Amino acid sequence: MTARDRVAAAQAELLRALLADGTPPEGFDTERLALQSRSLLAKRTRVMASVRPDLAEALGDRFRDLFHAYAKENPRPTGIGYRADSETFTTWLHERDHLPKPRPRRRWTVFKSRKPHP
Amino acid sequence: MSAIPELGVGIGWRPEIDLTVERLPGVDFVEVVAENLHAHDLPDSLRLLRERGTPVIPHAVSLSLGGADPLDMAKVEHLGAVAGLVDAPLVSDHVAFVRAGGLEAGHLMPVPRTRDALDVLCANVKQAQAALPVPLALENVAALLEWPGADLGEGEFLAELVERTDCWLLVDVANLHANSLNLGTDAQAFLDVIPLERLAYVHVAGGADEHGTYHDTHAHAVPAPVLELLGELCARVRPPGVLLERDDAYPTDAELAGELASIRTVVEAAR
Repeated sequence: MTARDRVAAAQAELLRALLADGTPPEGFDTERLALQSRSLLAKRTRVMASVRPDLAEALGDRFRDLFHAYAKENPRPTGIGYRADSETFTTWLHERDHLPKPRPRRRWTVFKSRKPHP
Repeated sequence: MSAIPELGVGIGWRPEIDLTVERLPGVDFVEVVAENLHAHDLPDSLRLLRERGTPVIPHAVSLSLGGADPLDMAKVEHLGAVAGLVDAPLVSDHVAFVRAGGLEAGHLMPVPRTRDALDVLCANVKQAQAALPVPLALENVAALLEWPGADLGEGEFLAELVERTDCWLLVDVANLHANSLNLGTDAQAFLDVIPLERLAYVHVAGGADEHGTYHDTHAHAVPAPVLELLGELCARVRPPGVLLERDDAYPTDAELAGELASIRTVVEAAR
């Protein structure tokens, strides 16, 4: 096992514990783990509210609790940005009927306006 | 190994305060979050600042140089491209990891201060330096937790990093203050141990106490102890630059100008 493998395992174990309810890694102060976990969740919540103020507004008082529930089930995968995360959250809300499903877009037919004859 | 030019006193440029930054008195340089810029197109405000000759330092937050995942070279190349676009004297990121095991932390996480982690960090830093057009400075982060089994103190860890990679240091005195309150880091010992001749610039920011923990929020006024730490640092070395970071709950222009003036007073008092 190389140094990189050992560090990779330790870092992955810590992030699983902080973001995905993994087992607390050995040797860490459990209160500090909980504090860090809450802090990461709070930041993710703030970012989501700023990326999607429309969702925050539509959900009102429910936004925080619903986002926390979503976030615990859905830690953000590597390479997934906040924008894509917000799409997953939106789908999650629709699937659970927390938000009305969007109506299918109406297709508008474009009529070319006929130039008046001179 | 080029020298870092005199930068002076600066502020973090953010889209929300672009006009403020343009008209604030006493802004000698700015820093921009590299990930928030396009590699080929500058916001007008930054173009204006560059036309005035104000140095712009791209600051990255997502290279995850302390992470064990292979370095994402596309992110390094983006940072280099932004540096080219603003003709930056240097770029910076953190001694931190932001992803591991397939998950994004969403924040700068401290690395274990072990020999293993130092080896990984140094290898990543060297790989990034080889792809960057300008010097790289690395910043100490604020941590809420401590890894078990540290082989080195925080200052010693940075000193070894500099020795092995020839990188520059970006010392965040607000992060140092946060760690001294939350983790018991000895700020004086930290300043005594780090190679101050490799100091590129300094970050200053505000924070707040919440339930007995100091949070480095960048959304509150700079507290007096952070300015005192800046004074301690300036008593040891003249930093090429000192930069105020404000990321949220933006105050009036006058308040920001006041904070910049306070920083300048501390820097000049030490001369």
